[in-house]
This record gives sequence, C-alpha cells and structure tokens, in this order.
Amino acid sequence: MSEILKSRTLQMVVLVLSFLFVFVPYFIDVKVLTDFSTQLITIAAIISAFTLVLAVYSQFRRGYTFVHRRSRGWIFKAYMMTSIVLMLIFAVYSQTSGPYNWVMYAIITPLSSVNYSILVFYMASTGARAFRARNGRALLLLITGFIVLFYQAPFTGAFFPQLTPYSLYITSTLVSAAGRMFLISVTVGAIVFGMRVLMGKETSILGAAKEEK
Amino acid sequence: MANTKPAGKSGYRYLVEYDRRIIYLLIFILVLAPLLQPFILPIQVSPDTTTYYNVLNGLKKDDKVLVVFDTEFSGYMEIQSGIIASIRMMFQHEVKVAIAVAHVEATGIPQLVFDQLASVMQEHNYVYGVNYINLGYVFPNEAAVAASAQDFHTVVRQDAYGKSITGTFLDDVKDWSSWTLLSDYTTGIQSTALINHYGLKGTPMIANVIGVMISTSAPYVSSGIYKALLGSMRGGAELEYLTGYPGPGLTAMNSFTLGHYMLMIAIVLGNVGYFGYRSYQNKLKAQEVK
Repeated sequence: MSEILKSRTLQMVVLVLSFLFVFVPYFIDVKVLTDFSTQLITIAAIISAFTLVLAVYSQFRRGYTFVHRRSRGWIFKAYMMTSIVLMLIFAVYSQTSGPYNWVMYAIITPLSSVNYSILVFYMASTGARAFRARNGRALLLLITGFIVLFYQAPFTGAFFPQLTPYSLYITSTLVSAAGRMFLISVTVGAIVFGMRVLMGKETSILGAAKEEK
Repeated sequence: MANTKPAGKSGYRYLVEYDRRIIYLLIFILVLAPLLQPFILPIQVSPDTTTYYNVLNGLKKDDKVLVVFDTEFSGYMEIQSGIIASIRMMFQHEVKVAIAVAHVEATGIPQLVFDQLASVMQEHNYVYGVNYINLGYVFPNEAAVAASAQDFHTVVRQDAYGKSITGTFLDDVKDWSSWTLLSDYTTGIQSTALINHYGLKGTPMIANVIGVMISTSAPYVSSGIYKALLGSMRGGAELEYLTGYPGPGLTAMNSFTLGHYMLMIAIVLGNVGYFGYRSYQNKLKAQEVK
C-alpha cells in the first residue's frame, strides 16, 4: 500500500486532478464543480495552517542541536526557543491583555519599527554616494531621480506645481512600464513553472529534491 | 572610486570622501527637529490620493468593507496615517467594517486603530459585531484567502477573540461578491492573493501600499483591479489633509520634505566633488607629464 502511495505516477495524477478541479471552475460555472473546488481549497487552507506547527517543530529540532553542541550562536537559538515557549504560554493565558499584549506592544512593535526605520540612514548615505553622473545614462537616471525626488517632497508641489506634470509623466509611463514588465515576467515565470510541474518535469514540490542537511 | 583619489589635497576630496556618519547625523537632526519644534509646510495633494478619497467618499451607510491588514508592524509605521484616515472615513460613512489580518505581527494593529478612532466610533454608535468586527489572523496564506473568497464561512467561524461570528453582520457575507469594497493595507504579503481571488473576480479593491510597492502596484490601477492607490506615508498625509483630520502623516511630512531636500543636496555636492576631483587629478597628471 505504501509503495502505491509513494508512486510518482499516483502523485502526479492527484496533482493534475487537483489543479483541474480548482482551475476549471474559473471558466465553467458548474455548481457541483465549484462546491468541490471550494472544499478542496478549504482543505488546502487547513493543511497549510499545520505547516506552522511543522515550522515550530523544525525550529526546535534545529535549535536543540545548536544548543546541545554549543555551536556558534547557540545562545540566540536558546533565546528563540524560550521566546516561542513563553509566547505560547502567554497567548493561551490571554491575547488581549497581560504579558502577551505587553510583549506585542512594548517589544515587538518598537523593535520591528526601528528595524525598518534605520534603513533610511543607509539608503540616504548610499543614494548620496552612488548617484554619480559618470556617463550619459547615469546622467539621465540622475535627472529622472531628481525630478521624482523633488516631486515626492510634498512641499515642492505646493510651490512649484509646474513640476507635477513631468513627475506624473515619469511615474505613469516609465515607472509604470517597468512595474508592468516586472509583474508580467513574474507571472510568465509562474505559468511556466506550473506547466513544468503538471508535465512532471519539476518534481521538487513532490519532495523529490534532496533534503538540505 | 579608488583610481580617482587625489595625490594631494583638494577641497573636492571632502565632498567625495566625507564620513557617512555626517549623513546619518543630518538625517537624524532633520527627522527630529520638526518633531521637537513643529512648523507647518504646505503640501500638494496628488491625483492618486484624490481618486482614493473619492472612492471612500462614495461609500454608503451599511456597505460592507473588508479591511485587510497585510503588513508587519514595521510597514504599519509607514502606512498608519493612511490606515487611520481611511478607516475614519469608513466610520464616518457608517459602513460595516470587518478587519482581517494577513501577518502575525498585524494582530496587534486593529486595537491600535480602534483606540485612535474611539471618539468617531462613539459618535457614530459603532457596536462590535453589528457595525464592525475584528477577525484576527485569518489570512495566513493564499489558500485561506482563496477559500474565504469562495465560501467565507467555511474558513472564518470565529473572531479574533474566539467568539462565533454567527449573529454578526457577517451572516450576510457569502463570498467575494458580498463585499462592497476590499481595502488592503499592505507591504505585499498577501496582496497578490487578494487580487487573484477577490479583485480579479470582481470585488472592488483599493490599496494603501508602502513606498517601494507603488511602481509595481500602479499597473493594477490602470487595469481597473485597484479602484485607487494610496502611496506610502505621503498619500496618508494627503488623505489626512483632504479629510481635515491632521494626524501622524501630516506631522511626518516636514521631516519627509526636509529629508528629501537634504538627500538632493548631498547628491549635488557628491557630484560636484566627483567631477572636481577628476578635474583636479587630471591637472596633476598633466603636470607630471610636463
């Protein structure tokens, strides 16, 4: 029985059928098919939620190995595991008050915010040092960046509204085109990957790839 | 840059090789000063924000809006002005608001928003379960988003506090078509999933995104999936201005403006230094040849 379940052909059949059950109702409105698709997606959502448990288990297994061997940075692993356990206990006690709430608002909020905010120092420093008009293309980039930066400062628009159409033109044409190109590339890549999976040429999602040691 | 270092002293040298901590210090001062000594700089409202404002202004009493906090706390700091101003408008229009969370850090955000808008909620008699509800972390992945779009109650049965959602205004919600509007506040975690399973099916969507996402989100406006896009903290500040309720966005705009100007000055000085340097070095080389 286990050999049958492990069969690559059976796994591919299940995968292709699952794909069709979810994909076809987008184009053909048949109630039975739509209901089945909804059930399938709900099952997927519930199974996906369990991956969180798997992630915690993996972190603990890896963390325990680090601590047990006293590997470099083991103290951080110990800290992480202690934090996970404590937050679990706090969350069971109450999520809207008490220690869970305190950790959320007094530790996670400011740390997360600071982590993001300090990027501005590096970005400003890098921008100031890297923007050099070394050649014609760099000069074009610099001029474009200047117009957009100038427009992005809200005060500019209030005193130099003449600049607004140029900046809007840049954002609605050049920037938007680049954004579209990025999105289309990602989507085409996803479709190609999906096709390769359905054709059995991409078996990594079935667990066929070697597990990282 | 290494080959442009001068042999001798040059004033340009300092414009190219200055200590980066000077930039850090200037940024720190420019961010802090307007907070310590507030002053008012005028701002211009962009057409995108006006469109966003008009979409929210078009909401009618008892419309159902699904608000998704699709952000970490770090991203929340950038878009909180947009979040507060938008939800204030929703409350003022007396729409029914369901808040869903798509990142574990965002589970703390709904309470922060309710606390800041307590007076508006009181003024418009907002009652939990009747007019608004906090669903908590219900969108951990795309499968959950997809399932909620097809049959809302199979995925969401309890609110963030563990109470059943039966008997609330969500009884009328069946699938994606039940929502008047989906308002996504995002750093990009589940925004694509929301577009795929709500926006593309026909749920009107608006989004308030962080700065780096504006260019990749803009195509969704021109394709009609997003009815409007609010960009970053600046968009939030403009919305605060339009609604007439100054908040964290407008407060930050002075630092925002000064920071941008400082960066531009630093770039100009850097280029002056770079070209001055090169010219100085060429002169030195010419002298050596002679």
